[in-house]
Amino acid sequence: MDKAILVKSLVKRFGALSALNGVTFSVTKGCVFGLLGPNGAGKTTTIRILTGLTHPDSGQATVLGFNMAEENLQAKARIGVVPEVSNNYEEMTALENLVFSGELYGVSRTERRGRAVELLEEFNLADRAGDTVLGLSRGMKRRLTIACALMHRPELLFLDEPTTGLDVQSAHQLRDEVRRLNKEGVTILLTTHYLEEADQLCDTVGMINKGVIVALDSPERLKASVTGDRVVEVSFSAPIHDRELELLLGVVEVHRLGDKYRITFSGEVEPVSDLVDYARGRGLRIAMLDTLKPSLEDAFLKITGTAPDEVRREKEQQKQRRMDA
Amino acid sequence: MMDQFEKALYIARKDIRVYYLKAPNLTYGLLMPLALYLAFGVSGNLATTTLISGLVSLVVLFGSTSIEAVAVVSERTTGTFERLLTAPVTLRWILLGKALGGSAFGPVLAILALGTVTLLSGANVAGPIAVLVAVAVSSFAFACLGILASAYSKWIPEAQMYSNFLRFPMAFLGGAFIPVESMPEALRLFSRFLPLTYSIEALREAMAKSMPTETYLLDLLVLAAFSAACLLWGERVLKKRLG
Repeated sequence: MDKAILVKSLVKRFGALSALNGVTFSVTKGCVFGLLGPNGAGKTTTIRILTGLTHPDSGQATVLGFNMAEENLQAKARIGVVPEVSNNYEEMTALENLVFSGELYGVSRTERRGRAVELLEEFNLADRAGDTVLGLSRGMKRRLTIACALMHRPELLFLDEPTTGLDVQSAHQLRDEVRRLNKEGVTILLTTHYLEEADQLCDTVGMINKGVIVALDSPERLKASVTGDRVVEVSFSAPIHDRELELLLGVVEVHRLGDKYRITFSGEVEPVSDLVDYARGRGLRIAMLDTLKPSLEDAFLKITGTAPDEVRREKEQQKQRRMDA
Repeated sequence: MMDQFEKALYIARKDIRVYYLKAPNLTYGLLMPLALYLAFGVSGNLATTTLISGLVSLVVLFGSTSIEAVAVVSERTTGTFERLLTAPVTLRWILLGKALGGSAFGPVLAILALGTVTLLSGANVAGPIAVLVAVAVSSFAFACLGILASAYSKWIPEAQMYSNFLRFPMAFLGGAFIPVESMPEALRLFSRFLPLTYSIEALREAMAKSMPTETYLLDLLVLAAFSAACLLWGERVLKKRLG
């Protein structure tokens, strides 16, 4: 069986609220799968079902070949779970936390300590092994949570918002760790608000909205599926008037960004040839021309019709920057 | 099953490491029963064995339930309980591990209290091993009661409120300050539904007689059944709450 996860028609209700309305997807062994969606879309409920924390009202979840309704202990022994909030015991040291994880997952007595030390080194925590978790930084706590989830060498790792709240450097280190683990053969299912992160890490992305999977494909194919407005950045050999660009056929909006222009064309026109014609007509040389491809964020917005908080914030900031410019 | 039991023991050891020195445990576990006893017990005309068995049972009751109120609820609020739930160990064994961890605290305090009081009063303990067994069984029963209280709670203060709701009436009606025999018929009947009554009775029997009596064994049996009922009830409540 080449499927690490097989989810069929999951339904979960919390009173009147319907959290999952027939979620269906599968994750191939060895891949990095991103589960994306706006807040309250059903990501966490799906993960909670897949990790045995809750049961669906109907539908079936199979993890590493084990039915989560009947054989969840066997599945739990082979998966690692990193929740959104780091869940280390703050009164215990980093080393004790790792050893405790080893005990819970049945890592042999002889192997436990050695594996813990190995992971402390791997996650740059060796010099803090004897410190209680209370004194560690947020990034270190996050790394320790991941290390704890890896004590028993799981085949499948669930990462819920792994880099949320981390500084740039820690987030970068964690992304490298995810890539390395995947290279070693660990299947990874991650949820993230950062679409750029999903784009960089995931082989396949499942977009969930209102408890239903609305898109399931590779990031590149999802981006390619976005049609409509086309964005071009162009810079000319001499200054021009913004107004002239606005008068070109099919131009939706023009933004001046320093010495270049970001022009949005409607989907029906061919922007490059129009711009070349425009430059020739005025005796200008094109210094730079770049066609911007739709991002995963564009695909996400188009498919779900909603932006996660971070995307929304980023968009507002971009708008503000444009206005300032 | 052995594998699950081993994991329950690891959870118990972790709880001992993490929760024993928390302030609420020390205040509720040792100071509260001592204060209650100084206020209500010492001034009464109780026989020494009744006095000592009452105090020791109270220490065990408050010590064990306090640990569980903190150990289960605080883990649920910090998210560490989910760490246990995602591990290959069932909720029943997790709760058993927690009850074992919580029940190790009571005996430590009880031995301290028992040693001090017997030394001061010069009282004789006829069956020391039977006393220790009664303390251990009582402690486990009260830890299971703490688990049940915490299963219904979202926050530590809520768990402590439920615990106190159970502990204080029990302290007065379980025979710690007033012997059950001297209570009115209705209260005497009511006291038979309280685990503290059986704990005090078992301890009193063990302190007075060198060989375990029928009453003593029956008391332990009732406490064991009470523990199992609380644990299973707590498991059921938590399962429902966790969805």
